[in-house]
Amino acid sequence: MLRSENSARREAGRYLPGALALFAVVAIGVWFLPSYYTGLVTQIGIYALVVIGLNLFMGYAGQVSLGQAAFVGLGAYTSAALAVKLNVTPWLGIMAGAIVAAIVAYALSFIALRLRENLLALATLALGIVINVVFNEWDFIGGSSGFKGIPGFALFGHVFDLRDYAILSWAFVVAGLWFAGNLVRSNFGRSLIAISAGELGAATLGVDAERLKRQTFVLSAAYAGVAGALYASYASYIDPSSFGFLLSVNFVLMSVIGGMRSLWGAVIGAAIVVLLREVLQGVVPLVLPSARGDFQSFFFGAILVLMLILLPNGLTRWREGRSS
Amino acid sequence: MHIEMASLWQYVLAGVVSGAIYALIAAGFVLIYQVTGIINFAQGEFAMIGAMTAASLNAAGLPVIASAAIAVVVAAAVGGLCHVLAIRPARKASGVTLIFITLGLSVAIRGAALFVWGTNPYSLPAFSSGNAITIFGGVLPPQAAWVLLADAIVFAALYVFFRYTYVGTAVRAAVASPAIASTFGIPLRTFAFWSFVAAAAIGGLGGVVVTPITSATYDMGLTLGLAGFVAAVLGGLDSLPGALVGGFVLGIVEKVSGGVLSTGWEQGVGFLILVLVLVLRPQGLLGKASRRA
Repeated sequence: MLRSENSARREAGRYLPGALALFAVVAIGVWFLPSYYTGLVTQIGIYALVVIGLNLFMGYAGQVSLGQAAFVGLGAYTSAALAVKLNVTPWLGIMAGAIVAAIVAYALSFIALRLRENLLALATLALGIVINVVFNEWDFIGGSSGFKGIPGFALFGHVFDLRDYAILSWAFVVAGLWFAGNLVRSNFGRSLIAISAGELGAATLGVDAERLKRQTFVLSAAYAGVAGALYASYASYIDPSSFGFLLSVNFVLMSVIGGMRSLWGAVIGAAIVVLLREVLQGVVPLVLPSARGDFQSFFFGAILVLMLILLPNGLTRWREGRSS
Repeated sequence: MHIEMASLWQYVLAGVVSGAIYALIAAGFVLIYQVTGIINFAQGEFAMIGAMTAASLNAAGLPVIASAAIAVVVAAAVGGLCHVLAIRPARKASGVTLIFITLGLSVAIRGAALFVWGTNPYSLPAFSSGNAITIFGGVLPPQAAWVLLADAIVFAALYVFFRYTYVGTAVRAAVASPAIASTFGIPLRTFAFWSFVAAAAIGGLGGVVVTPITSATYDMGLTLGLAGFVAAVLGGLDSLPGALVGGFVLGIVEKVSGGVLSTGWEQGVGFLILVLVLVLRPQGLLGKASRRA
């Protein structure tokens, strides 16, 4: 425990310089990348944003959520509905998406956060699926066919192209890292770590665990809401199947692989999961010409299991070894 | 909204059939959870393995019953393999990490199934020919009798095993108090392995008997697994009779609400109930006060 406390402190350097450097690499890099890869960069950025929020809740506060995709969906649907039905600009849609996701998370926290570990995992999973069923059954937001032709972002009359979306999503990643970085280095962040070490102990030190867990859950939903709103305009098409249980599983795996209690881990985890899928999609058919469909998910799953066994603390905290 | 009694009854009967399958998958969840404390998200995949193996063996010319028997053995082997390759090496990991591992396992198994079987649905003829079964005007396919028979056999066997056999008593002792049990030389690790084998065999059997009604696809495990898992929590994660009750309650509630509201709500209602149960009675309908969670 002491060892991990120390390394948590060591790691708590400033996030802004690194994030800005990464942003510069992305902003310059996308001018040289083929458009397919620019799409991947955008995807990684959007996922990373979700996982940064998720890491605050899972890694720092020590909770678990198997329903994060639902908050992404809430952000996406809010922004899309405002844009399609009321012609609201996606710039406001982002804010609205974050707010709606946060409000729903706040309401649900009174149900879910009473539970711990296994049962919390089950409750978040169930709530995520219920929200997805609502997307599916509510005709006002398109039912199972969702929204088509969602307006994109524009700035001073310039309509965003693929490159702009990559830059925009990574601008949000920088802002998200900066904010979360400040948060985890504050009293708030230290209290969260105290909660994850044991709620009773934290309570004796005057930490209001209920309240902090709730705030972190709401914040993680807001991150997911922003990511969802970005995704809606970027993809210009959403339907309920885009935000199902499997996406929640992917977020959790990104979080675990990068390292839950690390904000860079969120970025690394998102990048690894997206790139691993791409590499497998390219390599598997070369090695096994008879492979059909996207059967590379076998290797994907197997590699994930292997990493979880060998590096339960994630890539960014591999030094702490296997004891978790 | 006017619902005729006759169609309501038909929904209930349909619910009994799917509930019987949920009960089998839930029994697997409960077995593994009781013995190891792991919530195994790969449970639905065992049912898929059973269903797909039986259907493809039958398509290759084997008789239905032989295909079914081999399929259950294959599913059991996959379950044992999962434990040896993924669970045992990580046994020191925390409960939540183990959940993540079983999630990874389910992704891997689904991917392997896609490779072996592709995306086309496979079918299996009913185990016996015959007319539809009519109960008070409601109609069931003949295969429904086999589904219920499978439930009866599995749950009776589990009851006898835990109640009347020496090994079953040892497993109960190990569940009640792992530390004391191991001082008596009860091999906890071996039990963990066999709990995966048994859970996979039971899940596989569930997949096999339902295939003549629903047909089988490589991704059927996700929905089945989630439903079985709601049933298990509903009944109480530490109670085998609870799995049986939870399965039937869930199946009937799903089909009735699907019929009365819309089919899209089938799954949604199940998970709403799950949330309610978790909040109001986390030990489930028949469970004792929760021990691990």
